[in-house]
Amino acid sequence: MKRILCLTLAVCMMAVFALTGCGSSSGPADSTAAASSSAAVQTQQLGSNAGANATEMNFWTFVDLHGKHLDKMLGLWNEKNPDKQIKLNVTVMPYDDMHNKLLIAVQTGQGAPDIADIELGKFPNFLEGDNVPLEALNDVFEPYKSTTVPARVEIYSKGDKVYGFDYHVGATLAYYNTEILDKAGVDYKTIKTWDDYKKAGIQVYEKTGKYMGTADTSATWQASLLLAQQNSDFTDDNGQPKVNSPEMIKAMEMLVDLQKNNVIHTIPGGQPDTEEAKGEYNKGNYASALMPEWFMSRFINEMKDLKGKYAIAPLPVFKEGDPRSVGLGGTGTVVTKTSKNVQLAKEFVAFAKLSKEATTEIWNTLGFDPVNMEVWNDKAVTHNPDNEYVQYFKTNAFDTLNEIKNEIKAIKSVKASPTINNILCTVTLNAIFEDGQDVKEALNEAQEQITQELK
Amino acid sequence: MIKKFVYSQKVAPYIFVLPFVIIFLIFWLFPLANSFVMSFQERMLGQDPKWIGTANYTKLLTDKVFLKSITNSVVYMVGTLILLIPFPMLFACLINSKLMWGREFFKSSFFLPALTSVAVAGTIFRLIFGEMESSLMNSILSLFGIGPFKYLKDQNLSMAALLTLACWRWTGVNMLYYLSGLKSIDSEYYEAASIDGASAWQKFRAITMPLLKPTTIYVLTISIYAGLAMFTESLMMFNGNNSPKNIGLTIVGYLYRQGIEKNKLGYAATVGIVLLVVAMTINLTQLKLSGTFKKEED
Amino acid sequence: MNNLHNTGGTRQNIIAKVLLLLFFSVLFIVIMLPFYAVALSSFKPGADLIRYGLNLRLDLDVMSFKNFEFLFTGKHDYFMWFKNSMFLTIGQVTLTLFISAFVAYGFAAYDFKGRNLLFVCVLLIMMVPFEILLLPLYSLINDLHMMNSYSAIIVPGIANAGTIFFFRQYLRSIPKELIQSGRVDGANEYLIFFRLILPVLKPSFAAMAILNGMNSWNNLLWPFMVLGDQNKFTLPIGLKTLLTPYGNNYDLLIVGSFFSIIPIFILFVAFQKYFIDGMTAGAVKG
Repeated sequence: MKRILCLTLAVCMMAVFALTGCGSSSGPADSTAAASSSAAVQTQQLGSNAGANATEMNFWTFVDLHGKHLDKMLGLWNEKNPDKQIKLNVTVMPYDDMHNKLLIAVQTGQGAPDIADIELGKFPNFLEGDNVPLEALNDVFEPYKSTTVPARVEIYSKGDKVYGFDYHVGATLAYYNTEILDKAGVDYKTIKTWDDYKKAGIQVYEKTGKYMGTADTSATWQASLLLAQQNSDFTDDNGQPKVNSPEMIKAMEMLVDLQKNNVIHTIPGGQPDTEEAKGEYNKGNYASALMPEWFMSRFINEMKDLKGKYAIAPLPVFKEGDPRSVGLGGTGTVVTKTSKNVQLAKEFVAFAKLSKEATTEIWNTLGFDPVNMEVWNDKAVTHNPDNEYVQYFKTNAFDTLNEIKNEIKAIKSVKASPTINNILCTVTLNAIFEDGQDVKEALNEAQEQITQELK
Repeated sequence: MIKKFVYSQKVAPYIFVLPFVIIFLIFWLFPLANSFVMSFQERMLGQDPKWIGTANYTKLLTDKVFLKSITNSVVYMVGTLILLIPFPMLFACLINSKLMWGREFFKSSFFLPALTSVAVAGTIFRLIFGEMESSLMNSILSLFGIGPFKYLKDQNLSMAALLTLACWRWTGVNMLYYLSGLKSIDSEYYEAASIDGASAWQKFRAITMPLLKPTTIYVLTISIYAGLAMFTESLMMFNGNNSPKNIGLTIVGYLYRQGIEKNKLGYAATVGIVLLVVAMTINLTQLKLSGTFKKEED
Repeated sequence: MNNLHNTGGTRQNIIAKVLLLLFFSVLFIVIMLPFYAVALSSFKPGADLIRYGLNLRLDLDVMSFKNFEFLFTGKHDYFMWFKNSMFLTIGQVTLTLFISAFVAYGFAAYDFKGRNLLFVCVLLIMMVPFEILLLPLYSLINDLHMMNSYSAIIVPGIANAGTIFFFRQYLRSIPKELIQSGRVDGANEYLIFFRLILPVLKPSFAAMAILNGMNSWNNLLWPFMVLGDQNKFTLPIGLKTLLTPYGNNYDLLIVGSFFSIIPIFILFVAFQKYFIDGMTAGAVKG
């Protein structure tokens, strides 16, 4: 009897789950609510204003917010192009999984979407070999060529063919928690060089017990920006790895020195752009972050307690006159060769990523520094007081961005890059900052292992 | 005519086993053979394979990351053997005691963790072993004035975390194996030993342990396979296949990394073959040493 | 004298009883701790979970039913995964049990040429870790154009070696007279299987259904490799996808994990015996 009762209960529960499931997930998505930031991973169909004749397309991404952006652009596109309307099925998957699945899908020609986001670090995997499975976007890029940052297009190109459009430049900036700095009696505006940063950091630690910044073990933002400031890179002109270069040693030794002086410290999650680390920042345990411009959106969305406390400034440098920024991170939106509507997909991607409407929207909703710089000088957009990215920070990001505009370097993304990144983030940086391994030794080992893996 | 053929008693057994034969050939023997073939090729999905002889094998021998993954898997396997054989055996004997109150209750509750999926259990333990001071493990240890530790960044601690997960999930199940083994032991042995004045420990050594041998061999065999082939636990624990300094990388994890993440199917197949050889060698040796084959020939 | 000895024994027994109970109670608490922590955390905001880790802190200020509310009313795919998992599990178990019983009967009831060789093949499958076949199987599924379909998950395991083995052991104990009587009645070989054998197998079906069902319900790696379409994701895959830094999914993660265990819990309470039979089936000497 008891058994039957339990079985009935279980079956009923399952049935209820399944039925409520029908109601909540298979109904047509309301396009405005569909991509709200609290939405979990899900497939959404965008383009509710599209007519019955609209072309249906699939879009894969690993960032919820990118779906949100494309949704807005889709609305505009469908209004402007009643004859070429689009319906977009958006699938959001975790970073690693999406790239693994996408790579296999485009290589086998089975199940690939029409449009996809590929993160910069994974991009070279897609350009390997003679048959690139992506469509060249040169023709749709032409109208925007003159105003777009060339370095941000080059990283998604092979030969003279452009394969992806980015959301942002990702210029690295310094974010300072002025509340902590004020307590320690430090004025962030006086921090010009790494020596200044170190002095300030020591003072912050002595006065408040907080760390000035992070020693990253699971990302290469710091390593990249320090290399770029020395006009160096992880790879040489032939694309061969050189992670044990004198510049890299200098960069790492400087960071180790900062760590020894309690200026920087390792952080849960291993780098600022992780959930654990954002928690630490939100608690006010770190006084600065040296991160790309897109980190602004993390402040707004996930570190709400810090509103009004953070100021933005150029990065410290080794010696004054060195380039103060580098474009880091990024996601190229591509069109796959297996798409049934290549031309339409290309036109839409260019519109959604590079047009004036798109770049304005990118700043407004995503808070990114768009690759099409036309908008950088449009004060009505960049200093719009209704913009939450303008409200959150004590200083305007574009004041700093325009100041360093001509100093934004690039780190090459080549065939060896994913391997280099993988070794540094899993092995080397941990060995240096967590285990205290000697910098030269660790970097030599890394170089050896990278060469071995690339064979 | 066909009907008669199919219905004949001679043909019927073949019809019965046909589904197995088909599945065996297509989804087992062919892939296994293909795995051997692939291990001598440079092969990517969507591209033509290239024969490269034994290059994959020679590369594997000097591949430090692969050696690391083998070490991790073997250490994990040995750890599970040490923790998941003697203790469950002991618990089974204790819980089987006539003096035990609430036997059924404990039996079923210890079984509960085995019901959770790796996806869920791995996530739970990932959060329990968080490096924040307020995570469960750190807050428990702080009661004793130890820690906090960064469990998932340290070689030994992360292995301990993985083993804790394994113990949590499988202690109850292994205990049940031993309980069903104990059931088959005739109580007369114990009575006879009691008359001879044997102590509890002597009875355990002389009667229980030897008579539980078949169970132990079974548990040993599956634990060796499960230990060497462990992957999803690590995948969930480190939230991905890339753990700091590869402390969580297992053999299958490396196979996955090379095959799925890097699309080097040939090299990954070689990893698989090595795993097969290692697992087979260890288990056949173990079965031979314990004399299992002799018994089965009877 | 005798009396004295007895009371002493009883006192010892009581101490032993208490010690045993104490020992197992401690063990019980340790084993239940993660469940308790999860249950507790399902009332906390998801971001807290990642920022502070899973813990036992009872913080009534931040605890609420919001996660449960979100689970039942929010916009997410949880119940689609749930449905998919149920569909897949039921389909997989039904087909696997039926085919495996069919095959096992062939092995148990007939003496035919090649039987031993084929049975060695069954044992061989049980001896080799499935993980080794991941890649060749993966590329085979790709070549067969079965990628992204449930058949890619169900078909390779449809003649499950462990299940065949178990059924065969069970069927060996069935008297041959039963089969003979069927033949005398004029039934053909297949009718005998359907009419006479399947009913006899019922009790062992329950154990195997639960074992296969649990494996299927909890299976992650293989389905995750072959399923690319989000609309086909199963519960374990779905829960795994929630662990991404690029979306705020943590609210759903823990409450969803918690919820995924509940149906199995209920089934377990009801069919405990079969669960245990199924799980320990392999250890029963053949």
